[in-house]
Amino acid sequence: MDPSRSKLTYSLILIVGVLTVGPVVMLVLGSFSEGLTAFGQFTLDKYVEAYTDPALLDVIVNTTVFVLGSSLLSTILALFLAYLNNRTDIPFKFLFKILSIVPMMIPHLLFSVSWALLLNPSNGMINLVLKNVLWLESAPFNVYSLWGMILVEGLLDLPIAYLIIAPAMASFDVALEESSRVFGAGTWRTLVRVTLPVLRPAILAAFILGVVRSLASFAVPSVIGMPGRVYVLATHLYQMIATGFATDYGKAAAVGMSVLAASVTLIFVYRALTAESEKYVTISSRGYRPTVIELKAARIPLFFVVAILSFIMAVLPVAVLFYTSFVPYSMVPSARAFSMMSLKHWSAVLTDPLSLLSLKNSLFLGVAGATLGVALSIFVAYVIVKVKTRAAGILESLSFLSFSFPGIVIGVGFMWFFVQTPLYATLWALLIGYIATYLPYGIRPLASAFVQVHSHLEESSQVCGASALTTMRRIIVPLLVPGIVSAWILMATMFVRELTLSVVLSRPGTEVLAIQILRFADDGLWGKLSALGIIMIGISTSLVLIATLVGAQFKAEQSAG
Amino acid sequence: MEIRIQGVSKRYFSEGKAIIALDDVDLTIPANQIFTLLGPSGCGKTTLLRCIVGLETPDSGEIRIGGEVVWSREKNIAIPPEKRGLGMVFQTYAIWPHMNVFDNVAYPLQVRKLPADVIRRKVGKTLRFVRLEGFEKRPATKLSGGQQQRVALARALVGEPKVILFDEPLSNLDAKLREETRKELRTFLGELKITAVYVTHDRVEALALSDTIAVMREGRIIEVGAPRKIYFDADHRFVADFIGRANLVKAKVRGHDDGHTIVDCGLGAIACHGRDLPAGSEVTLCIRPEFIRIAKGEGGAGRNVVNGRVESLVFVGETYEGEIRIGNELLLAKIDPDVDLKAGDPVRFSLDPAHCLLLAI
Repeated sequence: MDPSRSKLTYSLILIVGVLTVGPVVMLVLGSFSEGLTAFGQFTLDKYVEAYTDPALLDVIVNTTVFVLGSSLLSTILALFLAYLNNRTDIPFKFLFKILSIVPMMIPHLLFSVSWALLLNPSNGMINLVLKNVLWLESAPFNVYSLWGMILVEGLLDLPIAYLIIAPAMASFDVALEESSRVFGAGTWRTLVRVTLPVLRPAILAAFILGVVRSLASFAVPSVIGMPGRVYVLATHLYQMIATGFATDYGKAAAVGMSVLAASVTLIFVYRALTAESEKYVTISSRGYRPTVIELKAARIPLFFVVAILSFIMAVLPVAVLFYTSFVPYSMVPSARAFSMMSLKHWSAVLTDPLSLLSLKNSLFLGVAGATLGVALSIFVAYVIVKVKTRAAGILESLSFLSFSFPGIVIGVGFMWFFVQTPLYATLWALLIGYIATYLPYGIRPLASAFVQVHSHLEESSQVCGASALTTMRRIIVPLLVPGIVSAWILMATMFVRELTLSVVLSRPGTEVLAIQILRFADDGLWGKLSALGIIMIGISTSLVLIATLVGAQFKAEQSAG
Repeated sequence: MEIRIQGVSKRYFSEGKAIIALDDVDLTIPANQIFTLLGPSGCGKTTLLRCIVGLETPDSGEIRIGGEVVWSREKNIAIPPEKRGLGMVFQTYAIWPHMNVFDNVAYPLQVRKLPADVIRRKVGKTLRFVRLEGFEKRPATKLSGGQQQRVALARALVGEPKVILFDEPLSNLDAKLREETRKELRTFLGELKITAVYVTHDRVEALALSDTIAVMREGRIIEVGAPRKIYFDADHRFVADFIGRANLVKAKVRGHDDGHTIVDCGLGAIACHGRDLPAGSEVTLCIRPEFIRIAKGEGGAGRNVVNGRVESLVFVGETYEGEIRIGNELLLAKIDPDVDLKAGDPVRFSLDPAHCLLLAI
């Protein structure tokens, strides 16, 4: 290998290492320190304090129930949907595609808020309707509970679980089922004895990823859990660092250590499982269409279930926010409500200096962060794909490490780092934190783009008489552009909505959209919240749409020449 | 155009060890021939090809293409690949996925900034030549393996280079398609006055396509010759063994008689293709399985008649492959499928001295 390449590899290892391992090291050191101002003086006090806290037991029980419950819900729903889509004659299969890309458009925070608006006990819209219709004394549902949290988080994690289970289901070798049928087992028995066991690695992988994501989730626990005083580890940590008079980053780091350890362990299990599930599904025979099971009488009822689920996932949250942004206060949709609609909240938000500041900050972080993040990702992806040395392997593992880091925990680690530097309380702190945490989102599409550019494609252009510049312009860049665009858009959408890292790192003056929305939620300013939320959804939806259009345009160009 | 390679060496460093890819190679590739570099993987054939085209830089030596020095360490000349004006077909075809067939083929002309109507005419002509008319607008990703191969060939030919290079162009095709494409390639190249350098590890491909074959091993050219010469009359044991299936028997020269060389070996005294070797020298006797014609039963003595016993028989379709035991020697022979034989049967065969090849090295 020539020395310039190995220099590049080592400098990237250094940069990515500082970005991903750095905060973990700071978290460890911080957990053994007295406080942000007394960094480096060894003490075990914070561990003793954190783990003898009588509230911790409740928090752990809540976390366990929340995490397992929501993962179970998302996995079962995903399995149900994947089976219906791949193996039955259910109509309108495009709904399933909508279900799988919706989370790109609606940030978790706003999804949670919309459910609070629908099901909160004092003036949740569904509760109000049911109270009127059924002449009830009190609200029938209280979303501010462990059950509410499980429901909302389960729905939020449904798409990712679906994206893991559906491909496994699609490439499943039907001969396995057919042989079971030949030996006399019925549809149901075959499903239980053959299909599900064969899909077990994929199902388990979806479940574990659900656990990791709900463990790291902050939106649901803060918007739905905290009003009902149901605390899980993420909100427990948040309380230590953000509320009360004495913030305690040492204690937060000490608790964060166990969350981080659990999360990293689970990701290792997840990786092992996905490797195994790939092994399972490769048995499939190519070009073979699986037999479609006729649902007969169950076809329409099952379709309604899917339709309702799609409505709940994609339409309802946005509709609720839209509606709330126009009405003066929470009320059931009615003629009176529509007559009272106004742009009051919109104009309030658009003249509110703090909201405008947060909008500006988020846009800056989205654009600058995605640009810098993609620039770094291009080099990292290049080394991972094209430089096949051991050092490149280390870089690969390093750069995907942050997948397993819960945002709020790694935020605490970054906090310990940034207070030692002048970056503290600047937008740059957020920018660095974002890039570090979301680096895999940039590397993935770029790595697959680089895989496409086989060295023969470059060499062949050279032999044809093209100069290095022409080769770059006509061969390499066009092949990389789709990867660069999708990486940029992916990072930008993540950054515009970022919440978990921001709740730790954001300071007065560096508020971002999600922080401002959370503040509105705390103050019960639902109208303003909804208006700002719609703006946020608008930004990420247009980014996703642009990405899809650019991708389609590029494909069309490719085929048309 | 003639290609002249003198004293070219190339070393790689991999995991701290130096690997000699090319070891002081001297080679002249005659103009307007199909010239094949044949050898096992890792013998340096692809490296040599890439040195000719300029994608690889040798450590020492000189390469001339048609009298022009394209690379020389001493004279400090290194013409980059894009200035050498060659055509090349890559092992992976290297068809650019973001372009259609027309743009792929037109590329070498476009980078030369030819007028559009000239490009259109030339591309049309070349596509007609490789029988891909009407495929101009087809995206490159929507082509079969054989079609991609022909697009790659068209792209290499469109600029009318004096030399075209092939790096194992058939190895990505399945067996049947490979055979068809090989015939096609032979026809295409036969119609053109062009120097073709062809790299392969497939001996059948080399024999069927080439005017001249150079067999390589461990970075060196072992032997250069026409296909028949390489197959029937190789000078080197390695070449004889590599180019086809061969029975190699240790032998010692007894003397010369009537234009034949007589050797003693495990099969008895055998008269061989005459070769100027002193009596008493150690040699290897090479007999190809297709020249061992088996008859049933033991037979009378005579020149080059050998008696043996069938050790095993395997039916492979057009023939039986039989192992014949003669004392300590075990020979592979091709046996007609309708000969009624089974393992253990005594057999006899006679060897034509013309097909008993002696190898000194």
